Amino acid sequence: MESTHKLGMQVCIETQKVSKIFGGLTAVNAVNLSVPEGAIASIIGPNGAGKTTLFNCISGYYKPEHGQIIFYGQQIQGEQTYSVASFGIARTYQNIRLFADMTAIENIIVGQYPRFTANWMDAIISTRREQNEEKIAIEEGRRLLKFVGLEGLGDHLARNLPYGAQRRLEIARALANKPRLLLLDEPTAGMNPQETDKMTHFIRSLRDELGITILLIEHDMRVVMDISDQITVLDYGTKIAEGKPREIQSNQKVIEAYLGPGGSSLTKKYQLRKKQRHAIIN
Amino acid sequence: MRTSPVRNGIQTGTIFGIIMVMMFLIGFTVIGAELIGKILGNPSISGMPDLIYFVIFMILVGVWCGVSAAKRPLYGPDSVKDAVLAGLSAGAICGLCAAVTGFIFGSVAANHIDVRAYLVSVSPESISMFTFNQNPTLGALALFGVMTLSSFLSALVAVEVRTSQKIRTMIENTSGSISETVHSQRISDLLNNKYARYGFYLIVAIALIILPRTWGGYWNYVFGTVGIYIILGLGLNIITGWAGQLVIGYVAFFAIGAYTFALLTAPVPHNLLWNFWIALALGIVVAGISGLLIGLPILNLRGDYLAIVTLGFSEIIRILLKSDLLTTFTGGPRGVHDVGGPTLFGSSFNTDVDFMYIIIIAVLVVSFLAYRLQNSHTGKAWVAINLDETVARATGINAFVSKLLALALSAAIAGLAGALFASRNQFTGPDDHQLMVAINVICLVIVGGIGNIPGIFLGAFALKGLPEILREIENYRMLVFGILLIVMMRLRPEGFLPAKRPVLEKFTADQRSSTDPASHPGNLETNTPPGKGK
Repeated sequence: MESTHKLGMQVCIETQKVSKIFGGLTAVNAVNLSVPEGAIASIIGPNGAGKTTLFNCISGYYKPEHGQIIFYGQQIQGEQTYSVASFGIARTYQNIRLFADMTAIENIIVGQYPRFTANWMDAIISTRREQNEEKIAIEEGRRLLKFVGLEGLGDHLARNLPYGAQRRLEIARALANKPRLLLLDEPTAGMNPQETDKMTHFIRSLRDELGITILLIEHDMRVVMDISDQITVLDYGTKIAEGKPREIQSNQKVIEAYLGPGGSSLTKKYQLRKKQRHAIIN
Repeated sequence: MRTSPVRNGIQTGTIFGIIMVMMFLIGFTVIGAELIGKILGNPSISGMPDLIYFVIFMILVGVWCGVSAAKRPLYGPDSVKDAVLAGLSAGAICGLCAAVTGFIFGSVAANHIDVRAYLVSVSPESISMFTFNQNPTLGALALFGVMTLSSFLSALVAVEVRTSQKIRTMIENTSGSISETVHSQRISDLLNNKYARYGFYLIVAIALIILPRTWGGYWNYVFGTVGIYIILGLGLNIITGWAGQLVIGYVAFFAIGAYTFALLTAPVPHNLLWNFWIALALGIVVAGISGLLIGLPILNLRGDYLAIVTLGFSEIIRILLKSDLLTTFTGGPRGVHDVGGPTLFGSSFNTDVDFMYIIIIAVLVVSFLAYRLQNSHTGKAWVAINLDETVARATGINAFVSKLLALALSAAIAGLAGALFASRNQFTGPDDHQLMVAINVICLVIVGGIGNIPGIFLGAFALKGLPEILREIENYRMLVFGILLIVMMRLRPEGFLPAKRPVLEKFTADQRSSTDPASHPGNLETNTPPGKGK
């Protein structure tokens, strides 16, 4: 089941031959990736394939050794993380990283930081600009809490929230920046099937209702095949396949990356047997 | 599996016995007896306190020992026998330790050997007091008896108190901790009442106006010092409490403020004699700029580099001030004398009362700044950096600039404190700016409640006010600080008055009462796909 969402013509994010090298290890090797505006794009691959490293390069945490990262026509590789955030790229983390000792709504207010213009002097003399911004920030915080379904929990410390709520709060914090591109690193990790379904639905609604382009890393193939417009497969830092979910499912290289050499013949047998069983049942 | 009460008692008794012996060896038994004498209104004149106060001191130790032995959480309400057994054995062991020590030192003293060559605090008088002015054998027996008996009786009382429900509820009702009182519903309601709040402010204002005039020079001195330490604490809290960057050599900025002010207003060595207020402002600015310059090369790094660099910086500043190199410029080891006092409209304004007012105003201004910064986006950004710098950067906070701002503001506030300190003492010298000042400030921030403004007030009163009042324990200040810090880290790592996050989602009263998410069942389970309601 592929999404039928109509994609924009403009390219949102593009990486051109991006490489990141740690000592002797090439974690990301000349990866080309192009995500059109309004798409939900997934990056998949076995553990250690370089997915999160690629994320870190895009969000500015790492400076890639080679290549260019282009966000709406602007080169952003090597920029500081805070400027990348202010361009409109927000992200979440594989292992939830909230400001644990702040309240939920404060997390969202901090997430709006790039949009604040009042400085510390304004804060001390409490100028109108500061007061207005504070008011808007709190209102926006309440709105986002409602949007992610955490209404009424805003004044609890983030560390005290249940796991699913923390995941959604992390997304709310990312949304607070009004991003044009959202990087989600394993948004359904550690969730049961029901929670995963809700999260999948939620991610799609982010794109459909807010028009945000989404790039996500995910291991749950059900989720990936369900919501992705395009899938990129990495293995040992190299892109081995790219395409629509259906194309990826039958790609020999992908199957071998996941199951090892000879894996494709295994899956062929498996699919054959499945077909036979279907035939028997029917 | 239950531990046997006797074994428990022996454990507790051993700990207390060791503490007892240590206290004797460092001479604290004499100090303790003196303190008790002072509290009971009979200060010793001859130098040694009366024996009776020493006996009370020993009994107090015994009582503490017995109570803590009986309090071990293994005994149910019905096991009075076990608890008393534990108390008895604890007292016996503790008494045995004391008795052995008393016997050994008593015998040594009876043979006219002066142990002060090895243990500086163990004077013959203190030994004789330790053995109740008796011969060693009798004294040791008496020590053993006193400790065992007091421990046994206190264990009995403790169990009685614990098992009696009536007394227990009474104690629970009365012994609410300070923080519970401060954050309790009733008081917060009272503070939310506009008139009650204005009334409270009025009372405080009147007290602050009247008290410096009435309580005399000594108290003005003590509370002036406390006020300066409050300013220092509030300043350090910005960079260390909120932004989470440990600064050990905070005294460097204090010294820079003090010396800038002193050199601008003193007749020697430069004879500039500037106006108080201009010099004060310049002291603040120079300290702030020095903070900026220190932060520039290191704040882009993470970790404890700032702590080490400032530690080194503060020592360099102090040694430079002391050195011959700068004697002509800063007065060298002798310091700067006749530092100028405040003036107002041409007339001098530097009695101790006037100065107290200036310090009070400075404390109020700095608290106000701290309060405003705490609630601003800048303050939230600092806390975010403290909690997770990587994520803070990724949410768009320029961590380097934020930390630099925090350090510069902290340094400027330390400069203000330094200038006030120099002006009040009419002197500043290298010895005013030892590392201990910075350690004191760190201690008071941690003990009071890191990141919390009222906590810093409490910490400053506890750590600077009390030692001034209790002069006897002056020599043991470091010991007490050490113990206090360890105890705080074990029992209340967030400080006496821990920082509270503001309530922002809802301002209504019903929201404030609930603090755990379990009380909002509706939102946790029924998470309808968000965004649907749009």
